[in-house]
Amino acid sequence: MSPPDLLELTIDGQPLKVPPGTTIFEAARRSGIAVPVLCHAQHQTPVAVCRVCTVEVKNARVLAAACIRPVENGMEVWTDSERVQKVRRTLYEVLLADHPTPCARQQATGDCELETQAAQAGLRHSRFAARSHARGADASSPIINVDHTACILCDRCIRACSEVKQNFVIGRTGKGTETSIAFDTDVPMGESSCVGCGECMVSCPTGALTNKRALDVVLHDGAEISPDELLALPMFAGASGTFLALNRGSVIRRRFRAGEVICREGEQGSTAFYVLSGRVQVSIASPLAHVKDSRGSQGAGVTRFFRRLSQLVSSDEDPRDEGGHRFIPIDASVNLPHGNPVAELGQGELFGEMTCLSLYPRSATVRALEDTEVLEMLRNVLYMLRKNRTFKAELDRRYRDRALATHLRSVPMLAGVSEDFIDHLRERVTLVAFEPGQVIFRQDEAADNFYLVRIGFVKVTQSFPGGEIVLKYLARGDYLGEIGLLHDSVRMATCTALDHVELVRIGAEDFGEMMRRFPAIRSVMEAEASSRLAEVRERHERAASLPISTFLAQGLMEAQNLLLLDLERCTRCDLCVRACADAHDGVTRLVRDGLRFDHYLVATSCRSCRDPLCMIGCPVGSIRRRDSLEILIEDWCIGCGLCAKNCPYGNINLHSFTVSVPDEMQPGRKKAVVREKATTCDLSRDLKEPACVYACPHGAAMRVEPLSFFAEKLGLSR
Amino acid sequence: MVIEELRAVQREHGYLPAEALAALAQRINVPLYQLHGVASFYPHFRLTPPPAVEVRVCGDMTCHLRGADEVLLAAEERAAGLAGTKIDHVSCLGRCDRAPAVSVNDVILTGMTPEKVGDLVASVAAGARPEHHEPTPEAVSLRTDPYGSEGRYGALRAFVESRDVDGLLKTLKASDLRGLGGAGFPTGMKWDIVRAAAGSPKYIVCNADESEPGTIKDRFILDHLPHLVIEGMILAGLVVGAGEGIIYIRHEYEAQADRLERELAACRREGLLGPNVLGSGLAFEMRVFVSPGGYICGEESALLEAIEGKRAEPRNKPPFPGTHGLWQKPTVINNVETFAFVPLILVKGVGPFKALGTNGASGLKFVGISGHVARPGVYEIPMGAPVGHVLYECAGGVLGGRALKAFAPSGPSSGYLPASMVDVALDFASLQKVGSMLGSGAIVVCAQGTCMLDMALNSVRFFRNESCGKCVPCRVGSAKLVEILERAAHGQGAVHDYEMIHDLSDAMRLASICGLGQIAPAPIQSVITHFADEIEAHIVRRTCPSGVCPVSSS
Repeated sequence: MSPPDLLELTIDGQPLKVPPGTTIFEAARRSGIAVPVLCHAQHQTPVAVCRVCTVEVKNARVLAAACIRPVENGMEVWTDSERVQKVRRTLYEVLLADHPTPCARQQATGDCELETQAAQAGLRHSRFAARSHARGADASSPIINVDHTACILCDRCIRACSEVKQNFVIGRTGKGTETSIAFDTDVPMGESSCVGCGECMVSCPTGALTNKRALDVVLHDGAEISPDELLALPMFAGASGTFLALNRGSVIRRRFRAGEVICREGEQGSTAFYVLSGRVQVSIASPLAHVKDSRGSQGAGVTRFFRRLSQLVSSDEDPRDEGGHRFIPIDASVNLPHGNPVAELGQGELFGEMTCLSLYPRSATVRALEDTEVLEMLRNVLYMLRKNRTFKAELDRRYRDRALATHLRSVPMLAGVSEDFIDHLRERVTLVAFEPGQVIFRQDEAADNFYLVRIGFVKVTQSFPGGEIVLKYLARGDYLGEIGLLHDSVRMATCTALDHVELVRIGAEDFGEMMRRFPAIRSVMEAEASSRLAEVRERHERAASLPISTFLAQGLMEAQNLLLLDLERCTRCDLCVRACADAHDGVTRLVRDGLRFDHYLVATSCRSCRDPLCMIGCPVGSIRRRDSLEILIEDWCIGCGLCAKNCPYGNINLHSFTVSVPDEMQPGRKKAVVREKATTCDLSRDLKEPACVYACPHGAAMRVEPLSFFAEKLGLSR
Repeated sequence: MVIEELRAVQREHGYLPAEALAALAQRINVPLYQLHGVASFYPHFRLTPPPAVEVRVCGDMTCHLRGADEVLLAAEERAAGLAGTKIDHVSCLGRCDRAPAVSVNDVILTGMTPEKVGDLVASVAAGARPEHHEPTPEAVSLRTDPYGSEGRYGALRAFVESRDVDGLLKTLKASDLRGLGGAGFPTGMKWDIVRAAAGSPKYIVCNADESEPGTIKDRFILDHLPHLVIEGMILAGLVVGAGEGIIYIRHEYEAQADRLERELAACRREGLLGPNVLGSGLAFEMRVFVSPGGYICGEESALLEAIEGKRAEPRNKPPFPGTHGLWQKPTVINNVETFAFVPLILVKGVGPFKALGTNGASGLKFVGISGHVARPGVYEIPMGAPVGHVLYECAGGVLGGRALKAFAPSGPSSGYLPASMVDVALDFASLQKVGSMLGSGAIVVCAQGTCMLDMALNSVRFFRNESCGKCVPCRVGSAKLVEILERAAHGQGAVHDYEMIHDLSDAMRLASICGLGQIAPAPIQSVITHFADEIEAHIVRRTCPSGVCPVSSS
């Protein structure tokens, strides 16, 4: 007799005794009988949805799912009867009909469980037709590929996400034959709250969730770091070890001796660095050795220099002044002081995020100050880290401690905020992240927060008769959302993340407090807000009177300011080009060629586009738009050439300039080097009118605002 | 309370915007993916704003027999070019006695014709509001009601007086009352299991979610005898020691839900519900839970999941609801009709109750009859009466005096039987003997000229549409089965289809988690058995003898 608490049963004729609560699957396994399973994973609660573990229980009407069915006393179980085999085969066959064979997993590692088991059952193909419409794929996550067509809805990823880990992201959406796995509210995985732990992917039996290698690049300059070593670092806590093993080569450990350069400004790159130990120095070549952006004499340059210098020590300056930049935003948790663009980073700091996530050129040169050890990582690993709650909290803390103050100060308008108020804000601001394409807020929504851009680019658009138009792009150091708050009204524009964007969010209450405490800031902001609102109103009025399509045809609508040459007056004397060169250190920014509209030549010269694509991606934020529309390239341009590449009209050019920089060989001395800098039309900003227009003896060259100009000329006015 | 919360959000916005779901997730502390999973599961919830005009046409079994295809076509033609108009299919709306039925902006309209639906589309597009028209039930005298206008809830009062739990259970067992929702589990035994089960609190749940094509009997009972259903539930509650009763009713039965609420309010006034039922010192309270929709919710464990605010996916069994029901607590879950017979049995006694049956069966039965019949509706008949009795004596025979070709004793689940079997008795044993089932008492009649492959396809398609998608055999199997039958209907069948149908049927019948998947192949299997020539004509000779299927027009 068995002890009363053991149950007796037979499986495939073998007598067994098992404790109550044991499943048929477990009992069979213990006696060495393998029942095939697809949805069952032994570390997860059974759900019995794939039904391939069905077994025959004597005297039962239907088959039982071994993975979930508890043993009963006296049960007689057959795991491989003819009936069971036939049913199992049909199940494989219907699943195979809709399955892309070989699926991504089978191709990569040959271990798709469905394909393997079907083959073992002697099945090579399915008699059944595939479903008429495929269920699609989702490549939005930088680290995991989702192929719904390969998904058999086994529920393993769902349990992995919420039972094995506690992330609560994956579920099922829809019903019946249209059911599929879904992230949050069925948004693309990359836009969901997925933390990128990789557990779902390592739980998936098929090619539905597979590992996505970042860029097909393997880092090899340093020492490989094993998954176990990584898991021991707090920032990798919660990640799946299998997942890290699959991504070997995506993160390496590198050591630099004092003085060695880790990365150089302007270079292309695809990695970010995390300082494990040691100290590094971040710098960019002196911005004061720069492209002159005016025809001003040397004296004028010196005046400007002193004016800037005075602003560094005084906060009484008009913060709206063009020269008010005190910090240069770079791709790290610090901003560089304008006058002496050097900073230090130490253990626990991360830099190169924008290069890594959005492939922008390096914004600064980083050099080891002492023997330094860093982790260099590709996008997939950085993505994981950024999604790790502990690491994110640590990054945020560093930002609050180190960068918030300079960040606020780097916004000219906010330079006057007092130290104690920054302290007040420190724990009250929220750091929020947005994925490419995600809307930060929409036009006409109630305004609730003020934002500073910390990482990435934000597109500001407004709905307009004839469609949505881009007002501007905001980069690191810019701010958004103030107008709605100042006027206690709705949002006047829609703001969308263009790439990986991180913002500092300041609540309406704190923003209000800041406005109360610093009336000077308030009045400047209000003045700016009302001028922007007036501008928008005017634009709407103008646009409402025009057949927009005429302009859209040649992209002229996109321009806010065109250099036109009236071909009926122009004698091709080229004085305009010469005048431009004279105004800009001998380098012309005007080419007398381009598209024709009516009897006007639209010269190749900056159009001050409504949608200034050139502004996207500048790693140091040196290209920007002035209030008076023209695009301005600040003198700390590092010459990476991205803006020139982005301009659809070929209106930005790189020119070599001789500048003096500190000589590394002879400390304290300077040397002359040739550097590339981007140039574009600045409307001869220090002159009363553009030099080209002034120079034209025939009145053929003119700078016009296209909407009103053509409205008048072409009889399109109301 | 997830379903109620979602319903409130939908009431506010007209649908469930993602931001509102996110806010709700925060507030009630339920993961967002779970809320979305639930919202996307039920037809009642919308994840996108509703169109200005939405006409959904029922095309299942009875409506299909009564011209739903033409109605759908007319609606689509009329809507073509009208902005903001959406024409769609909807699963059985439970108005099989007035087929075909449509739902216009969630208002149910019946007795549709192509002309009527065309006018409807135009008028609603022009801004008219569709008007719901639910006929007032005619007063009928029913033998199921042991009370006249006086003495209602007498069985309950007597029980409170005697407190004879054992006696009541003994009576119930002796009466042979079995579950009348389809499965036929002995009621007395079920109550006894729950009474004996450890765990508290216990629950009483009434399944009023009948959603199978042709099934309208519970609506009739709720119209005419709501007090008996409630009395049955209170008795069950007091017998097993439950404190709460929940009536789970499909959302298309608004009038019936209202009627129940009124009756419950009356019960509370009279002390039949509440903390001290009729001074017994026992507490029992009841509420009506309106289903967010879907046939699968009628599966008892799926129904419990729905009340718990989850996707209505049937549970693996065992354990059964008797020990692990609502919130994993012991739960009596019975059909409307089952509860309704309890007072009659207790008042009249076992002998007289059993004697109401005929041909050796016990008691009474409510059956709905629809399709090609002169007077579709619900009739109270002796258990064991032949199908022919209902068809010819009650429902006035086949529509238009046509000859009978086939009938389904209980909607798609029972499969189809040929006219030659019209004398089969409507009771559990007789129908089981001929490979069918008493099911939920939903006779659907097909006159001569009906194509049986078309009917099988229509029925299997219903099951595919209503599959919850949880287990592979049902989710994928039903889709493959539909696909094979569609090909056959288009004259693209092949001899090996028989084997594929057979293999699929076996896998679904033997390996599906719940009754839906297990029964889904029944329509085609029954048609292969009883109408072999007709199926062979489609699959092998590639013709439709009735001239119904697409193959005949090509």
